[in-house]
Amino acid sequence: MKVTIAGIGMTKFGELWDKSVFDLAEEASSRAIEDSKIDSKKIEAVFVANMLASKLDGQDHFGAVVTSILGLSVPAVRVEGACASGGLAMHAAILAIMSGMYETVLVLGVEKMTDPSSCEITTALMGAGSEEERLSGLTFPALYALMARAHMEEFGTTREQMAEVAVKNHFHASLNQHAHFPFPISVEKVLRSPSISFPFTLFDSSPISDGAAAVILTKKSVKKGIAITGSAVATDTIGLTSRKSLITLAATKIASRKALKQAGISLSDIDVLEVHDCFTIAEIMAMEDLGFCEKGEGGAFIASGQTRLGNKMPVNTSGGLKACGHPVAATGIKQIVEITEQLRGNALNRQVRNAKVGLTHNVGGTGATVVVHVLTK
Amino acid sequence: MTGIVSYGIYIPKYRIKISDIAAALKKDSIEVTAGLQIEEKAVAAYDEDAATLATEASIRAVTSGKIEQTQIGAITVGSESHPYAVKPTATIVGEMLGVGNNYFASDLEFACKAGTAGMQFLWGLVASRKIDYGLAIGSDVAQAASGDILEYTAASAAAAYVIGKKHVIAEIVDFLSFTSNTPDFWRRDGQAFPSHGGRFTGEAAYFHHVLSASKAILAKVKKEPSRFTHAVFHMPNGKFPKEVAKRLGFSYEQIQAGFVADRIGNPYSASALTALAAVLDIAKPNDTIFFCSYGSGAGADAFVFKVTKEITAFKKNILFSVLQQIEEKEYVDYAFLAKCAMNKQCL
Amino acid sequence: MNSPVQNWRLTKNIHTKVGKVGVVVSWTKVYVAPSGFEHETPYYVAIVEFTKGNRITAQVVDCESDPQIGDKVVTVIRRIGKPKAAEVIQYGIKVKPNAKQK
Repeated sequence: MKVTIAGIGMTKFGELWDKSVFDLAEEASSRAIEDSKIDSKKIEAVFVANMLASKLDGQDHFGAVVTSILGLSVPAVRVEGACASGGLAMHAAILAIMSGMYETVLVLGVEKMTDPSSCEITTALMGAGSEEERLSGLTFPALYALMARAHMEEFGTTREQMAEVAVKNHFHASLNQHAHFPFPISVEKVLRSPSISFPFTLFDSSPISDGAAAVILTKKSVKKGIAITGSAVATDTIGLTSRKSLITLAATKIASRKALKQAGISLSDIDVLEVHDCFTIAEIMAMEDLGFCEKGEGGAFIASGQTRLGNKMPVNTSGGLKACGHPVAATGIKQIVEITEQLRGNALNRQVRNAKVGLTHNVGGTGATVVVHVLTK
Repeated sequence: MTGIVSYGIYIPKYRIKISDIAAALKKDSIEVTAGLQIEEKAVAAYDEDAATLATEASIRAVTSGKIEQTQIGAITVGSESHPYAVKPTATIVGEMLGVGNNYFASDLEFACKAGTAGMQFLWGLVASRKIDYGLAIGSDVAQAASGDILEYTAASAAAAYVIGKKHVIAEIVDFLSFTSNTPDFWRRDGQAFPSHGGRFTGEAAYFHHVLSASKAILAKVKKEPSRFTHAVFHMPNGKFPKEVAKRLGFSYEQIQAGFVADRIGNPYSASALTALAAVLDIAKPNDTIFFCSYGSGAGADAFVFKVTKEITAFKKNILFSVLQQIEEKEYVDYAFLAKCAMNKQCL
Repeated sequence: MNSPVQNWRLTKNIHTKVGKVGVVVSWTKVYVAPSGFEHETPYYVAIVEFTKGNRITAQVVDCESDPQIGDKVVTVIRRIGKPKAAEVIQYGIKVKPNAKQK
């Protein structure tokens, strides 16, 4: 795999009232282009990740929207896989370069979520689930709550352990200028906040955020470029009722094994990770399914502090989805941006020392799509 | 012999005490309860309507009677709360039951006697051998305006009766109707709640029609009231049925088994049919049942039933008896009723 | 939910799904609802298993306290969501605690 990250850029994530989805797309793209020091005219294709503009803004045809904004006339396409849209756009772009057809491409993930009412956005996000789930009055918090309840029942995972995920990620976000919630919180705060879907409270859930992130990928060698050494995707059933298990994301296991094999590394080689913590239980299951601990021990593993900045293997130094924010399709690209900063040594006071290998884990829906990337210095 | 082959009743489990409604409206609870002689009424859940209630009752009727759904040749649903003004409830029930496509279907409205009106028409289709089995349903999620006297009694339930010729458990010996055009209680199209003539609904409406129909059928079958084992009258409140029974010459003991309104209220089209089911639940072979329903607008349907030996075997197949459903209850408060009304899902 | 055609397609064969007894595999209590369900909050939703591997998600109704994993429930037909005044009504499968008969 000869693909290098030549440039990265992102907007702040948060409630960006005065920015439209088009503004966000322009901002992140421009920053990535500037960071790459490559002339935008050298971009040969554009891959745009976006889930909701069609439903919420009535805007389809987003590939052409972005090339219009950038004044380009190159091939452009929108990629969608719910919350894994960003990861999938990366994968598509990598394939494009590996095919030999394009040398340099722009990958952008953008999402504008704060315009509609809370009820409308909750409904729109259910597009990531199955028809049966929509008819049952389910929401995304409710779907992950069903998985959390099963995990608690089988392994005795506690609400406190889940809260520790949010606490850790908020601590990391307090060091990230781009984060939606750059402030620390306590376990107490998580447990006491309003109920969303039992056992989840507001602070077990990633927020509704606006934001965009972009990268420039190239076949060429780049000074201090970061290499993509693994890119793998796996899918699973769209609905939870057809899954073999409620407490495991089989697609995480498949995609991560594949990506590690492509990169020729093992788990112990990984210095830093960005995993998909759309809800606190998701990070617990990710640690288990990626293989860092036994099934059922994710809660204790995280609560031990091993994945906190300053310790063995920091996870979600960006603040994760929970505290950095989760503009759906932008998340997968943001994860790449964060790991790139880490491997470049530019993560400021979030820096993981001597980080040489990083992994990103991006999930769509309740695990129907999982994309894993490995980045190497 | 044509008669009732099977029946199924569905009474929602939520109840509200009449005294709680009175208290919420700052009225005298004792006075209201004594006046109406009703303690509590059945309330449907927010996601139930006349179609879902009718479906539950029908499934019970068909299961207890061990009848293949596809054998049902006709369905009538009588209600004052059909979910649609245009689009039959009967076909919704037909689909939920899985009766297929070879059946007659029609919705009926005649206030509280729409269910029994269906029974009369289906008797015709069965007796003439046009169909093997007919399903007559009375189902209502009754509505009443807040503060109106009807609010205390308007209740929800569904009663489904299968009429046929095989394994009849209660023969329909005879029936007739006494009908007139009397505006005692009505609801204009588009209006959420019914209106009524107050005291006009008593002597000139309920009593005149029930007495006339009852006396006519007693004369026709040439039987004295004392000769019947049980008597069932429509129960808009606890007082009227006791009074009409007395005037006709029926004793309080005869109407006891069917007297359920004090505990479930008046579920309109399902009212008299639910009371009849309470009687059938405990009836013995050769019992005779006098029955008269009443529907505002106005009319009374009088029936004479004779219970057969088949009732003994049938009793073993009853899924949920009326008494059991009356007992299985969960109290709700006036806030629950008000929320339902605001969401116009149930009342 | 407002297409009469989708409505019609979704209720075909519904009669085969009623009255089936299953077991609660997992459940949650929803406080923040999607469009059409706001008036029902808070409400329970469960994953219910019938025969091995045959599962559905459904709202749990007529349930006054938290369901437990392992509880027996039976499928019923109820209204789904809240249609607008001129829309077709969606009926569908929900579950309720399985009462003892007779």
